[in-house]
Amino acid sequence: MELSDEIIINAPKSHVYAALNDPNILQQCIPGCEELIKHSDTELEAKVVLKIGPVKARFSGTVQLDTTGAPDAFSLTGQGNGGAAGHAKGGADVTLESDGDITVLRYQAKAEIGGKLAQLGSRLIQSTAKKLAAKFFQSFAEAVSETAEA
Amino acid sequence: MKDELDNREERVANLKGMGCSRKRVEDARFTQGKGNYVDDIKLDGMLFGDFVRSPYAHARIKSINTEAALQVPGVLAVLTAADLAPLGLHWMPTLAGDKQMVLADGKVLFQGQEVAFVVAEDRYAAADGIEAVEVEYEELPVIVNPFESLKSDVVLREDLDPKAPGAHGPRKHHNHIFTWEAGDKETTQEVISNAEVVAEESMYYHRTHPCPLETCGCVASMDKVNGKLTLWGTFQAPHAIRTVVSLISGIEEHNIRVISPDIGGGFGNKVGAYPGYVCSVVASIVTGKPVKWIEDRMDNLMTTAFARDYHMTGKISATKEGKITGLHCQVVADHGGFDACADPTKFPAGFMNICTGSYDIPTAYLEVDGVYTNKAPGGVSYRCSFRVTEAVYFIERMIEVLAIKLNMDAAELRRINFIKKEQFPYKAALGWEYDSGDYHTAWDKALKTVDYEGLRKEQAERVEAFKRGETRKIMGIGLSFFTEIVGAGPVKNCDILGLGMFDSCEIRIHPTGSAIARLGTISQGQGHATTFAQILASEIGLPADSITIEEGDTDTAPYGLGTYGSRSTPVAGAATAMAGRKIRAKAQMIAAYLLEVHDNDVEFDVDRFVVKGAPERFKTMKEIAFAAYNQAIPGLEPGLEAVSYYDPPNMTYPFGAYVCVMDIDVDTGVPEIRRFYALDDCGTRINPMIIEGQVHGGLTEALAVALGQEIAYDDMGNVKTGTLMDFFLPTAWEVPNYETDFTVTPSPHHPIGAKGVGESPHVGGVPCFSNAVQDAFRPFGNTHTNMPHDHWRIWRTANELGLHS
Repeated sequence: MELSDEIIINAPKSHVYAALNDPNILQQCIPGCEELIKHSDTELEAKVVLKIGPVKARFSGTVQLDTTGAPDAFSLTGQGNGGAAGHAKGGADVTLESDGDITVLRYQAKAEIGGKLAQLGSRLIQSTAKKLAAKFFQSFAEAVSETAEA
Repeated sequence: MKDELDNREERVANLKGMGCSRKRVEDARFTQGKGNYVDDIKLDGMLFGDFVRSPYAHARIKSINTEAALQVPGVLAVLTAADLAPLGLHWMPTLAGDKQMVLADGKVLFQGQEVAFVVAEDRYAAADGIEAVEVEYEELPVIVNPFESLKSDVVLREDLDPKAPGAHGPRKHHNHIFTWEAGDKETTQEVISNAEVVAEESMYYHRTHPCPLETCGCVASMDKVNGKLTLWGTFQAPHAIRTVVSLISGIEEHNIRVISPDIGGGFGNKVGAYPGYVCSVVASIVTGKPVKWIEDRMDNLMTTAFARDYHMTGKISATKEGKITGLHCQVVADHGGFDACADPTKFPAGFMNICTGSYDIPTAYLEVDGVYTNKAPGGVSYRCSFRVTEAVYFIERMIEVLAIKLNMDAAELRRINFIKKEQFPYKAALGWEYDSGDYHTAWDKALKTVDYEGLRKEQAERVEAFKRGETRKIMGIGLSFFTEIVGAGPVKNCDILGLGMFDSCEIRIHPTGSAIARLGTISQGQGHATTFAQILASEIGLPADSITIEEGDTDTAPYGLGTYGSRSTPVAGAATAMAGRKIRAKAQMIAAYLLEVHDNDVEFDVDRFVVKGAPERFKTMKEIAFAAYNQAIPGLEPGLEAVSYYDPPNMTYPFGAYVCVMDIDVDTGVPEIRRFYALDDCGTRINPMIIEGQVHGGLTEALAVALGQEIAYDDMGNVKTGTLMDFFLPTAWEVPNYETDFTVTPSPHHPIGAKGVGESPHVGGVPCFSNAVQDAFRPFGNTHTNMPHDHWRIWRTANELGLHS
């Protein structure tokens, strides 16, 4: 499954980049995120409750960040396990581009899904994933704009 | 006792015996919702068990933590392989001579594999308990393609010694299961390499699933006081299940009672033994309470008994005139993680060696390689005799491909190669002896009825109209002529787990002239209680309405191998007739005594014995029954009972001729079935109405398989069709009107000449629907495309042939 989108954030690039690395902001914005622990600059651990169609499960997972392209780009890979509901692994490449006072965030994500989640049919998962991503970036854009204004 | 029916015709009609479209006696309860299925069984204190299943197709299990699950309210126990190992029950034997994990022992080999069994007060608590079991997996490389599997370094079955032979001979690779051959390899290769014309084709008969309306399930109840285990379940072979349970549990067989209650469809799905049965029994022993396990739909589609998954490569040779000279068939069979095929022991590829079909092919060779992959185990006969749909699909496609190569009409090619009526009994190149047939008569009748020539003319006109841009619909004429091989089978070459595939019937005539007959088979919707009573009515002269048929309780029914592979009528039906004849023989002696004549001076007439030459002197069967219980007859024991265990001398070979007329919209890929004509010859016809029902059902399942029904996996081994949203089950919307027809060519070796019919329409139907699709594209250059022909694949074929430009 592949997802990509472009989001305009009303804040300068440095703010956006910092926010992407701030576990508090991320936890606020990730839908269903119960816990996000930063073990190091490149390693995070998360617990997320997700509902896709009839399947509701608590996923626990790890995320590795690759920040070599900072602050213009960074990538992440991760995997999560939802027990009986299934499991997922994937990654995303994110680029940030300044456009005056605003930042254009583009991402391309890839995910492989297994278990009960996968069996529900890709059409359901694709649309749910899109919805979740949209929700995340909407919250993220709001959160970053607020911190930028503050 | 006064005889009320002097008119012979009326007496015959009163029996409702063979040939009568007697209404199904089962339907009174089914149509009122009064059936009694496994899930209807509710016992005091009954618990519910369900599985933690693997989300991975191939993974090592690093740990299983059940602590949290045991804290869930209502959860009583969680069983893992570690709990079953001390009892030796963490693995179980399969019907194919392999073994299968009951609960994951160190690793999992397919998605949905049973990892732990949660036992709870109800199914809701069990579901909560499942969520709370923590399993740590380490992913392993997944193999879903058997060709890759045979080349891969990845060892799927670490429990097997890669160098040791399997149950069916040497293994060539650590993921190889067996090689099975039939026929003459060298001669066949020689004939083909020297032939005037050779057609070759590779085809994949995709994996699918029987998907019965009722899923698999059981209730196990161990009575610790008297040491008796009662096991209710959706078993197509209850007696064999009793023996298997005894062998693997160590409980003596007389202490086990297996009961198959009403079953909501089987189609092969309910032949095998599943981990759910073993775990339920263990859980009942552990808790001392009855334990129920019922699959949900996803469990059923994902884990219990798939069908097909055969990759078949064929070569067929012929003279320029179209006389077939040789056939070569090579199969790579995907058996999944464990070899759990339900086939007779000596036939690991079932009766695939019926693949010479209805044709007089002098030389043939078949080779089948069974392979392990990360897919669910199974390999059952989904509404067919063992692997016969695969065989018939293969030959009926090869005939079409050869017809294209010869630029010949496929109906004519069939006609000139049919085995002729006078050649029966016919010994086929791959070993079977066909009992009887009259293929030309059936074929001519079918083609004439549908006006075959007219259809071909119409098709040619349609092609021209399409090319002129006047229509976007093309027309296909699907043909198939099939020969089934059913009624397994002779004990000399057919057994399952060493149990000979005979079947049985036990009859007790009651003093007032009614009766009960018990059989070793079990109906799953076939209407045995109706048809077997009709066989008996004709054999013993008591009305079918006065005969109860009972099956499925191993404490009362005689031992038999169950119902699958269209074996009930050919084997248990024969046992019924033979037991009936034993009753009749004793009745004859009683009648002679009552009439004060010699035994040989009376003869059977419909419902009575009459004195030869003096039909006004007779005793009805009803009078004879009473006499058996109230008179002391010199030289005869009281009572009127008989039992027969029937070992069939040969299989039976039903056949049929099908034609499907289809219109395909090339822009949407939607096929529309305009006409479907099915002529079946199942030998003697017991109940024409039930036959018609069987044909309708079998054709509908054939339509499903040919036009979309599939168990599909992605590269990670995820089952992509695990729900009815993705798995195609035809409804009234997709199903056409079927025209049924028949010829009658009795089996010469069967006591009543019946051959069986339940699976014929499926066996003949799949290639017929598929051939219709392929034939529609033949004028545009198509030779072969793989099933299932769903809308998208049909559209893709049209697109690839340039019909959208």
